[in-house]
Amino acid sequence: MDKYRRIGISRVLGLLGISAKLDLVWLLRDTRYAIAGIIADVIANLSIVSSVFFIAVRFGGIGSMNSDEVLFMMAYSTMTTGIFMLFGAGNNIHISRIIGRGQLEHLFIQPLPLGTQLATSGFMPFTSGSNFVIGIALLVVAVARLGVEVSLPWILSLLLYQLVTMVTIVARAYLVSSMAFYSPVGAEEISHYAINGTWLLSTFPLSGMPAAIQYSLVTILPEGLMAWFPALCLLGRPPLGLGEYYPMLYAVILSIIAGIIFRKGMKHYVTKGSNRYVPYGFRR
Amino acid sequence: MCPTDFAVSLRGVTKHFLQWQRDNTGKGLVRNLLRPEKRSIMALDDVSFSIEKGEFVAYAGPNGAGKSTTMKLLSGMLLPTLGEISVLGVSPKKNRRALMNHMGVLFGNRTELWWDHPLIQSLEWKKVVWDIPEDVYRKNLETVTELLELKELLKTFARELSLGQRMRADLAMLLLHSPELILLDEPTLGLDVVAKRQMIDFLKRINRDNGVTIVVTSHDMDDLEEMAQRVLMISKGKIAYDGGFNGLRDITGNLTRVTVTMEDESMPELLHARLLSSQNRAHEFEIDLEGTSVKELMRHLSNLDGISDVEIKKAPIEEIIARLYREWR
Repeated sequence: MDKYRRIGISRVLGLLGISAKLDLVWLLRDTRYAIAGIIADVIANLSIVSSVFFIAVRFGGIGSMNSDEVLFMMAYSTMTTGIFMLFGAGNNIHISRIIGRGQLEHLFIQPLPLGTQLATSGFMPFTSGSNFVIGIALLVVAVARLGVEVSLPWILSLLLYQLVTMVTIVARAYLVSSMAFYSPVGAEEISHYAINGTWLLSTFPLSGMPAAIQYSLVTILPEGLMAWFPALCLLGRPPLGLGEYYPMLYAVILSIIAGIIFRKGMKHYVTKGSNRYVPYGFRR
Repeated sequence: MCPTDFAVSLRGVTKHFLQWQRDNTGKGLVRNLLRPEKRSIMALDDVSFSIEKGEFVAYAGPNGAGKSTTMKLLSGMLLPTLGEISVLGVSPKKNRRALMNHMGVLFGNRTELWWDHPLIQSLEWKKVVWDIPEDVYRKNLETVTELLELKELLKTFARELSLGQRMRADLAMLLLHSPELILLDEPTLGLDVVAKRQMIDFLKRINRDNGVTIVVTSHDMDDLEEMAQRVLMISKGKIAYDGGFNGLRDITGNLTRVTVTMEDESMPELLHARLLSSQNRAHEFEIDLEGTSVKELMRHLSNLDGISDVEIKKAPIEEIIARLYREWR
């Protein structure tokens, strides 16, 4: 039997392309409902970030952050949400649903590494890209108001921090999702709760909060690393004296732990099997 | 023959599960928290068999016998507790990705179709994910569309297909990458007579014309007998029978059905026969040909007065199997 081929860039682009095509045809086929969904997403996310921004405007800033810096942080957060929705629309990030519903077997029969399948199967740029676009628009406004000098290294830093934030989100989702290998019914929705349940906390500027809360939210829980910490790093003021590389270190350590625990759970799954197959929600 | 020459080869495969046990009493709930009770289930117990390339094999057994477990082991979805598995010459555990380019798996109660898209969209998705060359895709699409009568359904949303149409569509999708081996778990489940007929004819055709090795499980033994040349029967995790369908009849005795229709209300008397039913002067008997030969039976029937019709046929395979299942319990 032939050896399987390496998964190159063109193959990944092809897989992203077919996911994007499925998204586009859905948008064009059910346009009214798709647009309604997009608008609802945008309103929901703008409500979260604008409420924080309005508080900052009303009180002349939050902690040591002025209202424009808060706007910058909100823009960063909206972009993160946007990327999450761009690539994670098919339960591929909320993986506890796929594990808990006994649906990993649909992935096992594809001639692709699981990582490639999971990284490409939830790509929905047309119906889930709106928050990313709005995040960029907010970022442009915030950067202009703050007078940040936008250079190539700064843009690369922004992209790197966004990548690190996404790695942290995915690692946390996969870490908590591993519980679904052992308790498929109880932990089916755990990834959703772990991420969405603390989303409001992720968009709150921690500046001015007691140090114990700040440290807790960049160590025990990563909420402070979702927008607050990287936004201040990008503005040249890394908080807590942890240094601007701290989010990368956290993401790497969390990824390693999540990788080990998820692999252990996967071994459990293929050894014990899943006796709970649910036919719905496997595709998206 | 070494394992790599076979389409499927299992050697001493054992699969063992632990099943949680719980009761609803207060004491039981507390005990469950402290020390959960678990029961050991032996799904497969030292199972060995081989399937040659091009064979059409039925894999049958009562509920919980280990059929689906075997299918999952063959497709790398589960790992065996002990033993070696070779599928198309490679280990499903180590070569899952390569194997999936050469085999197809279909579970009757699941679908690989994109529910909220037209059928053709799912087929195009498969082309990209399996990296099927354009010419192979076009040729296979044309073939399956024609043979499975899917032309009218290509633009229909998967969610709007009937069960029979959905199974045909799933089968079409399964075959787009020209698999050498296909594993079908209950493919005729819930299908009506026409849909079942189409499915069976199609499977027989691709086995005969393309040499595709097929392993199929079903509870419908009549379907299996029509499709497969060989049947592997599994019971309590062990292979209980491996051979042809006629051989199965021999196991339970050479049972034959004789229906004698009389001109009047009289009851015929046959040797070594058991009366099964009587209706409208037609009396159906089960006769064990181990005890009497066909020649003797015919001679005896010809000596009886008042017979208007005689029909002799093999005992239905369903009954043979039911008898076996009862014995295995």
